[in-house]
Amino acid sequence: MSNQMKTLLLKTAVRTFEDLGFLLPTEEVDDEQAEATIQASAIVKFRGPFEGVLVIRLFGDPLPELAANMLGEETPPDRQQQLDAFGELANVTCGNVLPAIAGYDEVFDLDEPIVDWESGEDSINEPGEATADVQLGLDEGRADLLLYVHGNVPV
Amino acid sequence: MALNILVVDDSAVMRAMIKKTLTLCGLPLGEISEASNGCGALEVLQNSWVDLALIDINMPEMNGIELIDEIRKRPDIADLLLIVISTESSQTRIDFLNDMGVGFVHKPFTPESVKAKIMEITGVQNVESDENLVAQDSSSDF
Repeated sequence: MSNQMKTLLLKTAVRTFEDLGFLLPTEEVDDEQAEATIQASAIVKFRGPFEGVLVIRLFGDPLPELAANMLGEETPPDRQQQLDAFGELANVTCGNVLPAIAGYDEVFDLDEPIVDWESGEDSINEPGEATADVQLGLDEGRADLLLYVHGNVPV
Repeated sequence: MALNILVVDDSAVMRAMIKKTLTLCGLPLGEISEASNGCGALEVLQNSWVDLALIDINMPEMNGIELIDEIRKRPDIADLLLIVISTESSQTRIDFLNDMGVGFVHKPFTPESVKAKIMEITGVQNVESDENLVAQDSSSDF
């Protein structure tokens, strides 16, 4: 299931970055993207047939472009709006990946996204490895997505 | 008929995106109000005339489902036209909303999908040509 979950997470993430953020993510990450430092992280907790957390970490400097694209503006908005835009992207990604995994008859409730600048591992209180994780290359850096699932996932 | 629309979403960025989308839709717009949760929406509805509310589901304090329940209970606003704009993908919940006479638009949305649902729910026709909308927004998804 974790391979299938990884595929669903990847497809959902690519579609959301494209449709909502007007970015063109790649499934390959080059050396520069791999070495980029963390810019911001977003966490969305969810409950339903199973519960858990989706974490998205942005590395490099993709956030100004992402937020400007989402708002349809030429210039990036202020830092708070950039975080808000990132939180919305995380929310939409989480809301779309869960039914893809669990089935479209299942109902999930999502918490408000928690978004921080430059916070990494310390902001996640999840033991062990993520159930599924993917990396996306972006023009200005990269995005790491980690999905932690607790409980039985319907197959 | 110009539509007075209330946009209810806890994300200021999403409210801005929806408002921008509305202005691109070519529909006759009156006043566009905003609220960041269900409680704020009820305050707006108490003090202003609103034809249509666009409502998110996941919000703090009073979420979208609780807001819709509250609206349907109040005789003065029970007939308000409602559309949920949400990441919700559960067909169970979408069917529940449809049974309550509430339209649904999935996030990420396009100007075309928002416009089509508003026209379906309100019966209002566009005032600008579709050609203009397509020219402006052929690459736009929100």
